[in-house]
Amino acid sequence: MIIHGKLRDRLLGWLLSMMFIVGGLLMIDAWATSQRSAQRAFDNQLEDALLAMSEAIQWQDDKPRIMMPPAALKILSTRHQERVFYRLIDDQGRVLANNLDMPLPPGLQREAAEGDVWHDMRYQGVDWRLHARSVRSAGWERQFRVQVWVGHTTEGREQLARELMIRATGRMLVMGLFAAMMIFITLRLALTPLKRLRHQLRRRQPQDASPLSGTMPEEMRELVETLEQLFARQGESRDALLRFTADASHQLRTPLAGVQNAAEFALSSDSPTQWHQALSDIHASAERTSRLAGQLLNLTRLRHLALPTEQDALDLADLLRDVVMEWVDHDLARQHDLGMAELPSQPVCVIGESWALREMIGNLIENALRYTPAGSEITLGLGLEAEGGGVVLSIEDNGPGVDPQMLERLCQPFERAGRQDTDGSGLGLAIVETIALRHQAELQISNRDAGGLCVRIRFARRQP
Amino acid sequence: MKFTPDRLRAMAFAIVASIVPTRACRVTSRLWLVLWAGIGMVSLIQPAMASAAPPQARLVIEAAMDRQVAAPLLAAFSRRYPDVELDYRDRSSMAVNALAQQADAQADIILSSAMPWQVALVNQGLAQRLDSDEARQWPEWAKWRDEVFAFTFEPIVMAYRLDLAARMLPPVSHADVLNLLTEHAETLAGRVVAYSPSRSALGYALYLQDSRYSGRFWKLVTALGRVDATLETSTQRMLEGLSDGRYWLGYNLLGSYALQWAQTHPDIIVQMPSDYALISMRTAFIHRDAPHPEQARAFINFLIGREGQHVVAGETPLYSIRDDITGPFTAQSLRDQVGQRLYPQPLDASSLSMLDNARRNDFLARWFDAYSGGAPTP
Amino acid sequence: MRLLVVEDDPLISRTLQRSLSALGFSIDAYETLAPARDAARQGGFDLILLDLGLPDGQGMDLLSELRQRNDLTPVLIITARDGVDDRVRGLDLGADDYLAKPFSLVEMEARVRALLRRSQGRSDNSIRFGPLTMSTSGGMFTLGDTTLDLPPRERGLLESLMLHAGKVVSREVIEGKVFGYGEVGSNALEVYISRLRKRLTGSEVQIRTLRGLGYRLELTDAG
Repeated sequence: MIIHGKLRDRLLGWLLSMMFIVGGLLMIDAWATSQRSAQRAFDNQLEDALLAMSEAIQWQDDKPRIMMPPAALKILSTRHQERVFYRLIDDQGRVLANNLDMPLPPGLQREAAEGDVWHDMRYQGVDWRLHARSVRSAGWERQFRVQVWVGHTTEGREQLARELMIRATGRMLVMGLFAAMMIFITLRLALTPLKRLRHQLRRRQPQDASPLSGTMPEEMRELVETLEQLFARQGESRDALLRFTADASHQLRTPLAGVQNAAEFALSSDSPTQWHQALSDIHASAERTSRLAGQLLNLTRLRHLALPTEQDALDLADLLRDVVMEWVDHDLARQHDLGMAELPSQPVCVIGESWALREMIGNLIENALRYTPAGSEITLGLGLEAEGGGVVLSIEDNGPGVDPQMLERLCQPFERAGRQDTDGSGLGLAIVETIALRHQAELQISNRDAGGLCVRIRFARRQP
Repeated sequence: MKFTPDRLRAMAFAIVASIVPTRACRVTSRLWLVLWAGIGMVSLIQPAMASAAPPQARLVIEAAMDRQVAAPLLAAFSRRYPDVELDYRDRSSMAVNALAQQADAQADIILSSAMPWQVALVNQGLAQRLDSDEARQWPEWAKWRDEVFAFTFEPIVMAYRLDLAARMLPPVSHADVLNLLTEHAETLAGRVVAYSPSRSALGYALYLQDSRYSGRFWKLVTALGRVDATLETSTQRMLEGLSDGRYWLGYNLLGSYALQWAQTHPDIIVQMPSDYALISMRTAFIHRDAPHPEQARAFINFLIGREGQHVVAGETPLYSIRDDITGPFTAQSLRDQVGQRLYPQPLDASSLSMLDNARRNDFLARWFDAYSGGAPTP
Repeated sequence: MRLLVVEDDPLISRTLQRSLSALGFSIDAYETLAPARDAARQGGFDLILLDLGLPDGQGMDLLSELRQRNDLTPVLIITARDGVDDRVRGLDLGADDYLAKPFSLVEMEARVRALLRRSQGRSDNSIRFGPLTMSTSGGMFTLGDTTLDLPPRERGLLESLMLHAGKVVSREVIEGKVFGYGEVGSNALEVYISRLRKRLTGSEVQIRTLRGLGYRLELTDAG
């Protein structure tokens, strides 16, 4: 697990970045709005001035005359004391009144004849905003049109826009500060459930399998449920181990008790024959106990170890032959006819752990050797499935077989199917089953029609 | 946008405030330091630049103001800035106006009593903005765009000879003048003087203002025509005529000149109108192409500063605008004398309407129509 | 004959010593590697019984040291029951045979005797197994007192069986030795085996067929 950064910093970073982005957008909007507001405010003045001026147009002898009203110029100048411009043009293009030589583009004049014109221009190194409109008057005989142009410098509106912008920015910054503070506090509070969980887990005892206490938010539910399942599984695993250990110690105690009794008896007797008998019994028990201890260790390791991590591709045929060759020279096998059926000619590739498979096959062979009388035939083989792409490892004997009712329980630890006459530990098949599970292989035990036991284990094949 | 220290500080605060929420990391705190350092430096430089004394140089003043009347002001300025050589050119208001519009005016200060024309020049962009404490503190109604400043508050008065007083009740108000001209038309024939509206800018402006305050104004113009009043172009000439005995009554004279004249010519009585008094404010601005801008700035600041206004209030009857100056010739003392009905011309864009050709021609036509006895058109 | 026993468990060590002495061997026993190493260096042993799981160092190291010195003393390694890797490695390193714990004394004695026989046989330039003797140089076989006159194929067959006397020899290995590595019918070997069997009838040795695996040369009274 790699530790990198803090959740809180990530959240903080993201939230603040978002806030800045939003703030930036708001500022852009504020700027645009300020510009618009200022523009509108001052444009209203232009409109008012134009209106005042157009109302002062008088008509004499069907000719327009303007008595320039001072009020119109005051409005035009606005509170900000802009420089002013006005021009009145009659419908023949003659200038009726004018105060500055501002060059008006002819295109604009044509536009003004149709409707309202708003125009920004630069004159003598200064920005001006112009507005024009055609006003009509109803004469007795015909209508007259006068184009009224007004304009003023833009210092006032620029200053207004700036002031609005600064005010808006100031407000947003204060709000931003406030929001940032709130984010800090909220994060602290929001991450509290995680902190609580952390404390709980820290204080928890390793053996504790109880569910977690306390209130958690919905998002953490999955995490907490998974943790509780983990604890429960751990608890179950530990219970299983305890049960197994209890069984195992019981199984060990029995032969050891026998040894103790035999020794006691021998010590209390002075007959060499009886000593011999006692020693012989002790020898047998010791052998059994030793074997049992070995098997127990194997089974424990197999059952409670971590999942197999070092599984390789191996040739099952080679492995099987290896193990059988080894066992055939065994003392135990001297009296039996241990052999192998013909193996497939091509390599049989499976994924597995070599040592575990050897252990499994070894246990199967040992079981067969112990639970069948001398001279019995024990045959191992590998069969390729016609359909399904699997391979079946089989071991068959022509011994007495197993009572059908006990077949199911055969793989339980210490289960010996009622046979006390042999030196088995009862763990062999448990080990076999565990190893088969580890390899995702299916185990099947059955009695042969011709008599004897058959154990089949099916593996999935891999491409070599 | 101009980067004044205040604006910079405002921006800096904004930026700093935005830095605080983020986790302090080395980069941002360094930026912050740099920002403050920058602001500090700028704040230091600005005032330093403003208070630099004008070095040895000239100052060209194109003025429509009598040298005599201006003398105390100029003397006081020279005392304050002895290194500045003053070039004072005394002209008529129209001449000053024309000169200011020339391409190579070579003038620093444009000074005139013809306010609408001054405003028009400023509207054309021929003035510079003055950025100083004195300019900022000057009252809003006495300046326009911080470019042109009114620095006097001169009443418009009537003046008459004692001869007139011997024969009739001297006029105290505008109504009195009308009555006098009507009742004693034969006595006063040829003995009345007033401004020509066509040849005197000030005269035109004053008549225009007068026309606003009374419906009987046009009757007064007709009355002036009936007595065949002489139309002069300057108060000076009117006063000379009065002293010579050519005229017995003068209408709408510049109070400053008249009062000063009356001090040395006791046979002339200056009368402040009791019903209302027009006020003429003399204005000055720094020409856009001024060859000596620093001296020009110093001059205007002087004019509207305590020193200049002190001179205006004390030594010359120009009447100071500042409220905090005490002296015989202050706006306040005027108000005390005449009451609240003082009508200065508004120093804003509305005065441009007076210059409108159509309007002017119309007014003049109407004036001369009334003067020559025609029925005035309403 | 002198045997070196290196075994850390005192009970097993004592038992080994007693049972081997009863067979007439002279035993030097050590429970830790260091003194055992010194003893081995001095040499003079006919067989070494070596427990691989020793406390103060791997028994493997002693074994590899031995073989690096070109010391060919037969070594019988004692391994844990599930120590396949140990066993394979030990044999690779030069051990001659192995014994898995827990072992029966009978088995241990048999293996010791087999190893001694083999090494003795080699030093004698001949290999003995029960009544059978094979000379390593001439390829001459004797059963009891009689010399066996064997055709080449049967000779090859008996040789390969004798080299691993008492242990299974795989079919493929025998076929390779007897026929070379060409194609051969499955019955061919059967024929020679049965011929050889006929020669051995009535003696104390027999050839046992191990189904699907191979053949083994056994003593008839061997259990």
